[in-house]
Amino acid sequence: MVELDHPFQTGKPIDENWEAILDLERLIPCVEGGSVIEKVDPEQVKAEIKIKMGAMSLKFKGTVAVVEQDAGEHRAVLRVKSKEAGGQGHANADVTFSLTDGGGTIHTAAQITGKAASMGEGVVTSVLDALIKDFTENLANI
Amino acid sequence: MSPVHALGPEKGRLTVHTRKGGAAAKAGHNLVIEVTSWRGTLDLGDDTTITLSADPRSMRVHEGSGGMTSLGDDDKANIEQTINDEVLKGTPIEFRSTACRLSPEGDRMHVSGELELAGRRAPVTFELSLSGGRLSGSATVKQTDFGMKPYSALFGTLKVLDEVEVAVEANLDGPQRQGG
Repeated sequence: MVELDHPFQTGKPIDENWEAILDLERLIPCVEGGSVIEKVDPEQVKAEIKIKMGAMSLKFKGTVAVVEQDAGEHRAVLRVKSKEAGGQGHANADVTFSLTDGGGTIHTAAQITGKAASMGEGVVTSVLDALIKDFTENLANI
Repeated sequence: MSPVHALGPEKGRLTVHTRKGGAAAKAGHNLVIEVTSWRGTLDLGDDTTITLSADPRSMRVHEGSGGMTSLGDDDKANIEQTINDEVLKGTPIEFRSTACRLSPEGDRMHVSGELELAGRRAPVTFELSLSGGRLSGSATVKQTDFGMKPYSALFGTLKVLDEVEVAVEANLDGPQRQGG
């Protein structure tokens, strides 16, 4: 299990941020390589992410769902469950957003298995950290 | 009249050697890329000069080492596509010496010159060995000297190192005579 914490800033009011992070169709494309395949219901989508690793690329397909939301506390948990396309690996994560005015924090608890995990936990942590940092920068433009 | 040697892939080899870096370097490969279309001249007359021009779209990945998996033909084709689309973008590659200094024994040459790469010119210096009718040597080229951003993937955690090595080797048999 890899756990990471990232602050983020959008410069926008808390209610606007709250609406944005719960709109999975707007949120998921903020992850580089991420896209929504199908909206299952307002709180769940089928999605995929393609990660380019130099010459090779990895694709994970699965679901992203809002599994907890507390509008009063502006806290929501998104659960990512995915399987490596054409492989045996999985990438699962609980992503907790805690919002404040102008931004907030993201706590990620991820479990990666398969080809990506075989690079070692240090590498997985570095890549995940870079992916989430990139995501937080894109959040400002959501 | 001066002995001018024509250089090219028929009797020589021009290769680019890249190294990987970054936190996720394990996921990448050190590459040997062969330039398959290039032309050069070595003029060993009174005023020694060397020139070289290479087709930027003729790079072929010859070998990838140090990765977690070996590179397949598709992977190699992907890299070549990336070089064409994102790195060199088809811009001319030209080298022209400005000064060549032969060692007293005549078996080594110190070359200074100007390289045009990715639309920018910068000075490059290197040593060549000239022995047994063969020329060989290599130059270190720093991509950022030419305004290039070294390729990176995986959100910047996998990078091609800024310095790449360009190696040349060629037979000098059958010199042509200029102006004769």
